[in-house]
This record gives sequence, structure tokens and C-alpha cells, in this order.
Amino acid sequence: MATNKKALLIDITKCIGCQACAGACKEAHGVTGDPEPKLSETALTVVQDKNGKFVRKQCLHCEQPACGSACLVGAITKTAAGPVVYDKSKCVGCRYCMIACPHSVPRYEWSKLAPYMKKCDMCYDKRVSKGQPTACAEACPVGATIFGDRDEMLREARRRILDDPKYVPHIYGEREYGGASMLFLSDVEFEKLGFMIPPTEAPLPEVSKAALDEAPMVVLVGGTMLAGLYWITNRRREVLLAEAQKKTLKFPVGDEEERS
Amino acid sequence: MPETKTKKPIITVWRVILGVIFLAGAYATYLRFVVGWSAATNLSDAQPWGMWVGVATLCGVGLSAGGFATAAAVYLLGMERYRPIARAAVLVAFLGYVSVCVGYAYELGLPWLFWHALIYWNPKSVLFDVMFCILAYTTVLTIEVSPAIVERLPFNGFKKTYMHWHHRLATAVVLAGVLLSSMHQSYLGGLFLIFRDKMYPLWYTPALTTMFYLSAIPAGLAMVIITLYLCNRSLGTKVDPKILKEVAWVISPMLILYFVWRMVDLVKHGGGPYLFKPTSEAAYFWLEMALFVFLPVFMLNNRWVMNRPEGVYWSSAVVIAGFITNRVNVSINALERATQANYIPKWPEMAVTVMLVTCAILAFRYAVIYLDILPKKAKSTRKWLANAGVAANA
Ligand code: SF4
Ligand code: SF4
Repeated sequence: MATNKKALLIDITKCIGCQACAGACKEAHGVTGDPEPKLSETALTVVQDKNGKFVRKQCLHCEQPACGSACLVGAITKTAAGPVVYDKSKCVGCRYCMIACPHSVPRYEWSKLAPYMKKCDMCYDKRVSKGQPTACAEACPVGATIFGDRDEMLREARRRILDDPKYVPHIYGEREYGGASMLFLSDVEFEKLGFMIPPTEAPLPEVSKAALDEAPMVVLVGGTMLAGLYWITNRRREVLLAEAQKKTLKFPVGDEEERS
Repeated sequence: MPETKTKKPIITVWRVILGVIFLAGAYATYLRFVVGWSAATNLSDAQPWGMWVGVATLCGVGLSAGGFATAAAVYLLGMERYRPIARAAVLVAFLGYVSVCVGYAYELGLPWLFWHALIYWNPKSVLFDVMFCILAYTTVLTIEVSPAIVERLPFNGFKKTYMHWHHRLATAVVLAGVLLSSMHQSYLGGLFLIFRDKMYPLWYTPALTTMFYLSAIPAGLAMVIITLYLCNRSLGTKVDPKILKEVAWVISPMLILYFVWRMVDLVKHGGGPYLFKPTSEAAYFWLEMALFVFLPVFMLNNRWVMNRPEGVYWSSAVVIAGFITNRVNVSINALERATQANYIPKWPEMAVTVMLVTCAILAFRYAVIYLDILPKKAKSTRKWLANAGVAANA
């Protein structure tokens, strides 16, 4: 199945921690400053030292992004080319995307009075939509991050696993949360490197959608039942009222209190 | 709570307290909108939602549940006995929702763009549904409370037409309100479903929607009881304490139902082993259970307690405290382990929350004083009903 969906393949065993990708990312996004140890509003990708392994952290560009399904106004969307992009002109700043993301990727401009969400956009506007590789992939001096068609990247990853027994036989991002456009290879288990291991492969949006789909049913059934109940009580009241009027009593209420 | 008796002196303790609350609130507002987030809150990338979502929104909406429960009982199920408190219950809900809406102004990063929610729809988002319910139900509540104001207007012609149409549409409006708020209460729980892998197992369950719904109704009724008790005490209204007691009786079985359901669900979804681990989460969980279930169920079934109005009042207060603990646990404490945020609200966050609650209380107080919300004299309850309650709503 040939799609023109793009992906990055990040081989943790090859990374030398030189921070070239982080630097190139800053440059591509017009931010200055040194590489940072943690994701921030000015560092959309970082290289973290996890017990001697260098692990890149940034948005994984999920096939079915939790952030995108969470977003109140639909400001976050998955493009056909793979990148999950953010339209800041729609955002209202509810920050639901930040908690919804299982990898805790989105950041917020807490210091600004009109703050926006910030995350890796996989260089969609400036490069990927024009057929160029991302800035980080281009900058990597040892080919630890490479860019290409997702299918091709998966094939390459499998080839490496077959050729070299040091790899754990798992491509992180192939299926986690329904798959992603960032694929990782490693020679230590992913949970030891701080990767989120989901209990099932189902994408998170489906988890919450299941509950939502019930709601219209609740309304339909509940509404009909209530309307029915109302009809019954109303009939009863009408009968009562008619009887009461015969006795020239205006309202059949409050009688009890009066007697007591 | 407005416990002031209308006394002569201009400077009373309550007025001083009110002054402090509003000054603090105003300064916190300045910090939030002029100086910035970091000055006003302890929110961070690890903890993007804090007290304003956890307390202002979740609790505000939850404690408003008494409105639809009472409205359904009286207007749809014909439980006429509770008609004297229906207007007040709906007013509590209305003010609750208005506070939530105002709270959003603080909570959203770009509050002046809130209308985006109306034009950019994302039906996949639970928050979108929540927003929509808030807007729709606030509108419905406005219609439901409007007669209390309209009947005070001097324009007779307008008044008559308005009441006529209101009367005709009342049932539909109440029905819409009940459904909307039922949906809304559950959707609030639905918000947390997508945090599956970040929430502590003691709170995460696919049934969060049901749990939120089941816990909101008793809490909402407790809120109505508290409000009316305080009105009787300080505003000279005459709501039959027997009615409050009856409402309180309904709460205890609801809490037990909630508890059983919650426990079965917890064990079913693998939360069982976490119940007695020596973690702070387990402690929070048992605190929640103690305040929301054990203590109130004991109090509500205790003759000595229930035979005095203060007893009814304090049992309701405990229910509310337990309810707030639950919502704070779900929205803040359940996430802290995964996000590794050590969140404690900053004082401006608390100041804003307290100010919102105070505004709602004051609005309620003046509504009771100046409008026909509650019967003011015991003898004329029936006449009051005839004039206000019945005339305004079928
Ligand atoms: S990693 Fe997080 S921010 Fe990136 S697409 Fe997935 S859910 Fe969204
Ligand atoms: S903060 Fe903005 S992008 Fe994120 S969910 Fe809210 S509206 Fe969407």
C-alpha cells in the first residue's frame, strides 16, 4: 500500500548526542539560544541523556493524535503527508491538548499574555509540504535521524533489526496508540528510556469516543422516558384539577400544609 | 455564606470579609490579565489544568445538579411537595453556571476568542461537547429563572405576553434542561477518559461518565439543602424544614448506590490492588470516601442528627466537602504521579475562586430578598405558590 506519508526514523543506537538536530530545529523555527534539556516553548525537540543513551523527545505525529481529538476547536490536525499541525488562529488556549497527549509533548507560552501552544510541526509548512526533509534529519551528521516515506522507513527499520541482534525487535511508533510518524529503534527496552507503553494499541481518541457515542442514546432514551412520565403526571394533574375545579378550589397544592 | 443578620452598624465583620475577598480577587484578576500566567498561577507544562478547572468548573457544574434534579421532580414528575424549593434550586444552578462561564474567562489562555468554540466545531472533542452543553444549558437556565425577574417589571402588557409564552414552553424548556445537564454532568467525566495512561488507577475507569453523573445529583441536592437552610436562618424565608429533611433522605441511598457501583467498577478495572498501597493517592481516595460516603451516610441515617435542622445542614456540608475532594482528586491528584508536577495552587488562583463563589452567594442573597424565590411567610405559602411558583411554571 503505497502512500506518500512521510516519517522520521530515529535510531537511538546511532545517536552521539551532538545536539545538531536540536540546534537546526531552533534555527528553522527562528528561535535563538542553546539546546535545552527539556521540551519548552522554545525547544520543540530535545536530546536527553537516559543512562548513556541519547533519546530524542518531541511530538511523535500520531496517526490518530490524542491532542487533535481533544482540541476544542479542531486547531490540531493530521495532514495527509504525516505531520500533525497546529493552526494557532483557531486556538482558544484551553490546554486540553497538553494533558491529552500521552507523551506530554505540547508546551504552553506561560510567560505571554496571549499564549499559544507550541510543539514540533515536523517542518510541515517550510519543508515537508515542499518535498524536503525536516531540518533535524538534514542536520544529523551520523544518520541517526533519517527522513523518508513511512513505508520505506519501516522497511529500513526491519532490515536493521534483522541484520543486527543488538536491537530490541520492536519499532516504537509503528503501532503504539495506532501508530505515529516518528519511528524509533533501540538496543534497550523502550520503557527503560521513558517511552510510554500503552496497555493496548487502540488510539486514545477511540477510547473517549466510545463513551461519547453513548450520550446521544442517553438523551434519546432519557428524553422519551421523561416525556412519558411527564405525560402521565400531567394527565393525573389535569384530572385532579378538573375535580378540584368542581369544588371551586383553584390549586390542588398546598392543602396538606394548611391542614397541619 | 451570607449569615449576616440585617443589623444597624455599617461596618460588620461580614462586610470587612467581603471587602478583603473582593480586593484580593481584583488584585488576582490584575495579575492574571495584566502581569501574566506565571504571576497568577502555579500552572506549568506538567500541570496545565489546576484549581480553576478542578474546583471552579468541575465543582461549580456538579453542585448545580440540584437544579435539574429538583426541576425534573417538580415540573416533570409532579412532586408538588417540592415546588416551594424548585425556583431556588434552579436559581442555584443558574448562578453556578454563570460562575463557571466567568471562570472560563480566567481559565482560557485566549478568553476573548471563546466564540471560536461556536464556529470551529470539533465534534470529536469531549471539551467541545462540554462547552456546548454549558452554553446551551446556561441559556435554558436563563429562560427558567427569567419569570422571577419579568414578574417584577412594570410593563404589564409585555409581562402578560412573556408569561403566556413562558408558560406554554415551560415543560419543553425544563425537559431540555434536564437532558442537557444530564449529558453535561457525564461529559465532564468524559473529559478525563483520554488521560487513560496518565491517571492513577484508583480514579481512571471507562465509566467516569456514569460516576460523574451519579455523584453530581446527591451533591447538587446537598447544595440546595445548604442554601435553603442558610436562607431560613439569615434571610427570614420560611421553607419547611421537613422538606429539607426529606431531600436529605434521598441523598443517603444515592451515595450508597454510588459507592457500590464505584467499588465494583474499581475492582473490575484492576484498581483493587491499589486500594491499600501506602501511597498518597490511596490516602486521598479514602479521604474522598470518608467525606463523600461513610460520614454522610452515617449522619443521614442517624436519628439524633436528622432530628435537628443543623444536623441536616452539616450532613449536607460534609457531602459537598466529599464531592469537592472527589473532583480535585480526579482532576489534579490522579494525574500528579504521571506528570510529576507538584501542584499547589497559588494564592491568586484561590482568591479568584473564592471571589466567584462569593459573587454567586451575594447574587443569590439579593435575589431572595428582592424577588419571589422562596416563600417568606409560613401561612401564605399556598398563596405564594399560586402567585409565583405556579403562575410562572406549569
Ligand atoms: S505525540 Fe502528542 S502532541 Fe504529538 S501528535 Fe501525538 S498526541 Fe499530538
Ligand atoms: S490549547 Fe488550543 S490547540 Fe490546544 S486543545 Fe485548546 S484550543 Fe486546541
